[in-house]
Amino acid sequence: MRNRNATAYRFLAPYLLIFSVFWVWPIISSFMISFQATRTVPWRFAPGFNWGRLIGDPAFFNAVKNTLLILVIQVPVMIALAMVMAVLLNSPLLKARGLYRFAFFAPVVVGEVAYSAVFRLMFSLDFGIVNKLLNSIGLPKIDWFSNVTPAMALIMIAVTWRWAGYNAIILLAGMQSIPEDVYEAATLDRVSKLKQFFHITLPLLKPVIVFCLVLSIIGTMQLFTEPFLITERGGPGGGTETLGLLLYRQGFRSLNFGYASAVAYTMAALAIAITLVQLWLTREKQ
Amino acid sequence: MATVTLSNVVKRFGAFEVVHGANIDIKHGEFVVFVGPSGCGKSTLLRMIAGLEDISGGEIAIGGKLVNDVEPADRGIAMVFQSYALYPHMSVEQNLSFGLRMTGNPKADTDRRVKRAAEILRISELMDRRPRKLSGGQRQRVAIGRAIVREPQVFLFDEPLSNLDAELRVQMRVEISRLHKELGATMIYVTHDQTEAMTLADRIVVLRAGHIEQIGRPLDLYDDPDNLFVAGFVGSPKMNFIKAQIVGQDARGVVVELAGQEKTRITQPLAGAAPEVGSKVIVGVRPEHFGSAGEGDTDLVVAIDVVEHLGGTSFLYARTAHGEDVVIQRDAAKVPTTSEVTVSIRKSYLFDEKGLRLR
Ligand SMILES: Nc1ncnc2c1ncn2[C@@H]1O[C@H](COP(=O)(O)OP(=O)(O)OP(=O)(O)O)[C@@H](O)[C@H]1O
Ligand SMILES: [Mg+2]
Repeated sequence: MRNRNATAYRFLAPYLLIFSVFWVWPIISSFMISFQATRTVPWRFAPGFNWGRLIGDPAFFNAVKNTLLILVIQVPVMIALAMVMAVLLNSPLLKARGLYRFAFFAPVVVGEVAYSAVFRLMFSLDFGIVNKLLNSIGLPKIDWFSNVTPAMALIMIAVTWRWAGYNAIILLAGMQSIPEDVYEAATLDRVSKLKQFFHITLPLLKPVIVFCLVLSIIGTMQLFTEPFLITERGGPGGGTETLGLLLYRQGFRSLNFGYASAVAYTMAALAIAITLVQLWLTREKQ
Repeated sequence: MATVTLSNVVKRFGAFEVVHGANIDIKHGEFVVFVGPSGCGKSTLLRMIAGLEDISGGEIAIGGKLVNDVEPADRGIAMVFQSYALYPHMSVEQNLSFGLRMTGNPKADTDRRVKRAAEILRISELMDRRPRKLSGGQRQRVAIGRAIVREPQVFLFDEPLSNLDAELRVQMRVEISRLHKELGATMIYVTHDQTEAMTLADRIVVLRAGHIEQIGRPLDLYDDPDNLFVAGFVGSPKMNFIKAQIVGQDARGVVVELAGQEKTRITQPLAGAAPEVGSKVIVGVRPEHFGSAGEGDTDLVVAIDVVEHLGGTSFLYARTAHGEDVVIQRDAAKVPTTSEVTVSIRKSYLFDEKGLRLR
């Protein structure tokens, strides 16, 4: 038995080695770096330096606020939208199902830069199609990039566009694993399609929905691409700066690794805390 | 009155026709079993009655009312699925009451119906459990309970026992029989197990490849099959089929000679026209219709391969001189010890080359 375990570990060794070096070590290392003052040479141990700054930094609280705001609005809207898309995809009435499935999944594989460029074009003040459409139905143009509220909305729209289809496909897979005859039984039980959705589909899909929520929460907590590329580094004036962006700014522009590590740990802690609360709220009640 | 009438019912999936014009007349309170091999269209027929499949042609009436275009929920039927189809996230109690709760049935009435169903099926002590914490037999009871709660005029069962082990199957069979007596409702029951059909049914509908081969009471099918298929399908072990040829006619009927055995001749009275001399036929003999030498029309020497002892009776698996396999039923006390034995044919059935019964 012991011998066989040893053999197994020898096979696992290359993986474990790489895993330790590139995964475990950075986690530990950045934790230690967050306790060091990194603007001095050599770095010195100063526990209060970064963490103390964090508690009083308005830029940090601005980033937390922006991130949480996006999280609270965008994630539920996106999951609800994904659910609607999944229901439509699952409908036997739908023609050309494969095409839709591809279309829903496509945003995920489109390059981030290309997608951001297209969004900037679509939402541009004077020749963007979105403002043209708004105009054509008699609404005023919106300057998406110069005001904080429209800029935040734009980020949420972009993130939703990119990830709703992905979540819809996951939800669809969950829906298709619910046996057809359960619905047939409900139909014979005189239960309407709408009630079947709320009393059968939703409860049976709960684990999948929770999975999508957790994925989305973690993703949004790390949100970077959209505020970096679409609203140009968290503009206007830091109005869309997220934690991910703050981390990048501190770590790679100001080369303040200690502070960036402290921000990173805060992001992770927040993601874990929110996920735990959410798991607790949706737990299986016996 | 919950009669169920199928007239020329046809089902097509695309261009592929799977039920070719079924005519069945089911009386109020009758227990009718659809039986046939896998893929013959039993479930499809049942699901058309339930309204879960569209009807491609013909008419279905329940209680004298045409239901072709009536929603499944309004047909006054309840169905028990092979997979049970219980709501996995609900307790037994919620499973039973779900339909009634969703349609705004008064709570007191719902509670009464659920309580009664639970008592009938003896599942009262399981009411708080989820389906996954129930045994197969218990799940089956809950599935039946869900049907009872609806107080339907017609119960539909699609192979409800096929997921249970042999012992439980026998026990549930008895329960379903009891239920039928207790509720007095019309029941239509699908199975591919002829024993289940024989023991449960008032009448059996034998299906093959989308055609109805015969409809009749269990013993009528057993004693008087219309064709080779029904003869072979009903009864266990199967009826033996031996190739033969018409060799003449005498005062008592046609004379048949078993293939390759000039001395074994059977005389069979026929009401209808006798086939020509020389035409090929098939003689069917049930295992219990072989007697000891001299007891019947003719004697036949067979070589015994295997003897199966079941206690009271035994089955001899043997071969005729012409090489055809036969199964012979014997009292345990009369099992021969020799490797060859002479048996007589006490009763036989005659089928023409197309498999239709000659009588
Ligand atoms: N949705 C469908 N689309 C196409 N063909 C189907 C469909 N449902 C059933 N069939 C075909 O119809 C025929 C009858 O099927 P059905 O399920 O009624 O058989 P069955 O007698 O219930 O068999 P079993 O004993 O295996 O349950 C089969 O050939 C099957 O392949
Ligand atoms: Mg079937």
